[in-house]
Amino acid sequence: MTEQSPSGTGAVLVVGGGISGLTAALEAAEVGNDVFLVEKNPYMGGRVAQLNQYFPKLCPPSCGLEINFKRVKSNRKIRMYTMTQVKSIKGAAGSYEVSCETAPRYVNNNCTGCGACADACPDERVDDFNFGMGKTKAIYRPHEMSFPMKYVLDKGACSGDTLRIIKDACKYDAIDTEMQPKTFTLNVAAIVWATGWNPYDPTKMTNLKYSESDAIITNMQMERLAAPNGPTNGQILRPGDNKEPKSFAFVQCAGSRDENHLEYCSYICCMASMKQITYIRERYPEAPIYVFYIDLRTPGKYEKFREKLMADKNTHFIKGKVADIIPEGDGVTVVAENAVTGDKVKQKVDLCVLATGMEPAIKAQAASLGLEVDSNGFVVSNADKGMISAGCANKAADVVTSAQSATAAALKAIQAAK
Amino acid sequence: MKVNPDLDFIKYMKSAGGDALKKCYQCATCSVVCPLSSDTKPFPRKEMIWAQWGLKDKLIADPDVMLCHQCGDCTAYCPRGAKPGDVLGAIRAYAYTHYGFPSGLAKMVSSAKNLPLIVGLPALIVLIMWILSGGMHVPSAEDLARYGFGHFFGHWDWPWLTKNVAFIDMIMVPAAGLAVYSAYRGVSAMWAAMAKQHDVNAGYRPSVNQFVQQFLWPAVTEIIQHNRFRECKANANRVTGHLPLMLSFIALLFVTAYSAFTQDVLGIFFPSLHGPMSMINPVKIVANIAAIALIFGIGVLWSNRAAAEAESGTTPTFYDWFLIYEIMAVGITGLCAELGRLVGVPVLAYFFYYLHLVSVVMLFLYMPYTKFAHLVYRTFAMAFEKYRASEFVTK
Repeated sequence: MTEQSPSGTGAVLVVGGGISGLTAALEAAEVGNDVFLVEKNPYMGGRVAQLNQYFPKLCPPSCGLEINFKRVKSNRKIRMYTMTQVKSIKGAAGSYEVSCETAPRYVNNNCTGCGACADACPDERVDDFNFGMGKTKAIYRPHEMSFPMKYVLDKGACSGDTLRIIKDACKYDAIDTEMQPKTFTLNVAAIVWATGWNPYDPTKMTNLKYSESDAIITNMQMERLAAPNGPTNGQILRPGDNKEPKSFAFVQCAGSRDENHLEYCSYICCMASMKQITYIRERYPEAPIYVFYIDLRTPGKYEKFREKLMADKNTHFIKGKVADIIPEGDGVTVVAENAVTGDKVKQKVDLCVLATGMEPAIKAQAASLGLEVDSNGFVVSNADKGMISAGCANKAADVVTSAQSATAAALKAIQAAK
Repeated sequence: MKVNPDLDFIKYMKSAGGDALKKCYQCATCSVVCPLSSDTKPFPRKEMIWAQWGLKDKLIADPDVMLCHQCGDCTAYCPRGAKPGDVLGAIRAYAYTHYGFPSGLAKMVSSAKNLPLIVGLPALIVLIMWILSGGMHVPSAEDLARYGFGHFFGHWDWPWLTKNVAFIDMIMVPAAGLAVYSAYRGVSAMWAAMAKQHDVNAGYRPSVNQFVQQFLWPAVTEIIQHNRFRECKANANRVTGHLPLMLSFIALLFVTAYSAFTQDVLGIFFPSLHGPMSMINPVKIVANIAAIALIFGIGVLWSNRAAAEAESGTTPTFYDWFLIYEIMAVGITGLCAELGRLVGVPVLAYFFYYLHLVSVVMLFLYMPYTKFAHLVYRTFAMAFEKYRASEFVTK
C-alpha cells in the first residue's frame, strides 16, 4: 500500500507526535502542505503529556495539548498514525520513499473508550506511562486524556482466557486479537524529525544507586507523582511504602554535563527541579528541601523564578554534586562536598530526586536510518536534503524553545517541499 | 581574597601531567568518591582550584596532596576528564623538586630532557672509581666463583676494610648521605609549611620519643599494612604490586645490613666469611626471594600503569615512569649479575654488576627528588595528620 500525496505537491513527514511534532505538523498543514504525522506511542502528546505542569506558565499539559489535538483532528491535510515507526528511507530531497510500520493496537476504530473491556480484564501490566510506578489492566488507555481516544491491548500480558473475556466484554466488536503489524510507504518531499527525548537511564550512574532504593526517583517520576492523573492521584508519596516524605533532596546534573554519561547540559533540569519544589511546597509547606547543584542554570526570565524559590528558608541550595547515595532503612543519605564551605555534606532525606537529563530518543536508530547526528546523537538539520530536526531531537530544550524550533522546522520543510 | 597566580607553576603543572587541570568546574565529585578524603576537609576539589589559581604555596603545604595514593577513583568519576589524580601527582612531583636540596640536582632529575645526565653522572662516577681503584679487569672464572664480586674494585691485604667495600662506601655513603640530608631538610621544610598553613600552634612540643611513638610509628604501620591502598576501587590491583615491592625493599635492606656486618665486621676475625654467600644460606634465600618479589612487584605496577594509561586516560609522565624504570633496572641488573656469576661468565657478570652499581647509585642519590621521595614525604604527611588531630595541637 502506498500513501500518495493527494494534491501532488510536496508532502511533509513529521516523525514524532509530541509538542514539537504536533506544532510542526500543524504549521506545515495550515499553510497548505500535506502532512503525515507518525508517532510510535499509542497516544499523541509525547513527554509533555507526562508532565504535571510545564513552563513557562506552569500550565497542566492539557492546556497546550488539547488545542493542538483539536487542530489536528479538524485539519484534513494531516494524516496521523500512532504506534508507527519509520523503518527505512530511500530517495533524495523532494522525493523520499519512507517505509513505516504500524504495530498492532488490537483495538479498531469501533472503540468508544467506554472501558468495559478494562473493567472485565483480569490481567495487568507494568504502567510505563507512569515509569513503572503502578500497573494498568492489560487492555488500557495510556492516560485519561490520551488522543486518539482508543484503548490499547498489551497482548503479551494476557492469557488466552483473558483475550476471550475482554472480547466478550466489548459491545462494539472493537477488539481484534488477530491484528497484524502493517507496513506502508509514504512519498514525501521533506522530513521533520521531532523524535524527542528519553530520560537518561539512572541505573547507568552506579554511584547514585537508583536501583537499590525506592526512595530514589527520577524527575520524570516526580512529575507523575505530582500529576492528578498519576499513580498517587497527585499526592507525592514515596514509592514502595507510600509514606509521606518529610524531607527531600534534588540531585542536579544526574548524568548531564558528564563525559561519562551525557556530556552536554540538558537545559531543563534546573528549572524542572525548581518547578518540582513548588509541587512539594503545595503539599508539604514546611518540609526541608536540599538542592545539590554544580551551577544553577535558569536563563532569562527564569531568574525571577529562581530568586523567589531561593528565598524559601526551608529550601537549601548546596553547591556540590552528589557523587554518592547511601540507601538507608528509611530513605537515603546523599553525600556531596559543599564547594563553598569545603565541608562534606551527608544529608539524610526521605525522598531523593535525580534530575536526570535528556537523551535524544532517535540516537540508537539514527545510523540505520542514515540520519546525520552529532556526537551526542542529536539530529543535525540539513535543509538542502529536506531533513530537518525540531525540538529535543535537535537539542535539549524546554517546551517554549521546542515549539519555536518546530515552527522554524515547518518553515524549512515547506521550502524544501516546494 | 587576593590571588597572585604563579604562571610558571601553572606551566609546570601542564608539563607534569596536570594538563587537564583547567577543565575542572568544581563539581566536587572527586572529593566524594575519594576513599581517603575526610569529612572535615575533603580533597581533591580544593586542590584543583588552588592549582588552577596557581597557589603553589598552599599546595606544597597541604598534607592532603601527599596523602593521595593516586588510585584513580577521582579520575574515573570526573565528569570533565580533569584527571584530579594526575593533577595531584603533578603537584607532588613539583613539591619534591621544590623541597629538594641541592635544588640544581632536584631540577635536573625532574625532567626527561636531562636523562643523559641523570644516567650519565652516576655511570661516570662508578666508572671513574672503578678506574681509580685499579681493579678494572675481567676476572677468571675461578676467581669469580671464589670471590664473587668481592674483588670488583680490586684487592688489598689490609684486614680492617676490604678494598672493595672501601670503594663501594666511597660511592654509596656520600650518595645516600646526601639523600638522607636532603630528605631531612625537605621534610622539615614541608612540616614547617604545613604547621604554618594549618595554624598549628602546639602548646608544647612532643619529645622525639613521643613523636615516634604516637605519630611516626603508627603512620609507618599503616603504610606497611597498605590499609589506605586497599580502599581504592578503580585500581585495587596496585596492592598486589606495591606490597611485595615494599617488603622486598625492607628485606634487601636487612640482607645488605647483614652482609655488611658479616663480611666487614665479623669477616675481620673470620676471613672465611668473605666471598659470596652459599645459595642455601637462609639470608641468601631471603635475598633471592626479595629480588624476585622486587621484579614481580615493579612488573605489576608497570603493567597497571600501562593499563591505566591505555584505558582510563592517565597521563604518562616522566615522573612516574622514571621510578618504575629505575627500580626495574636495579632488579634486573642485580639478577643478571648474580646469574652471570652462577653460570660463570665473568664478562657478563661484571658488566651487569657495573650496571647494578650505577642503578643503585641512582636510586639512592635521586631518592629525595623523584617519585621515590613519597617514601619520606608521604610518611611524614601522614604523621602530620595524626599530630594535627592529637592533643598536642587540639588542646
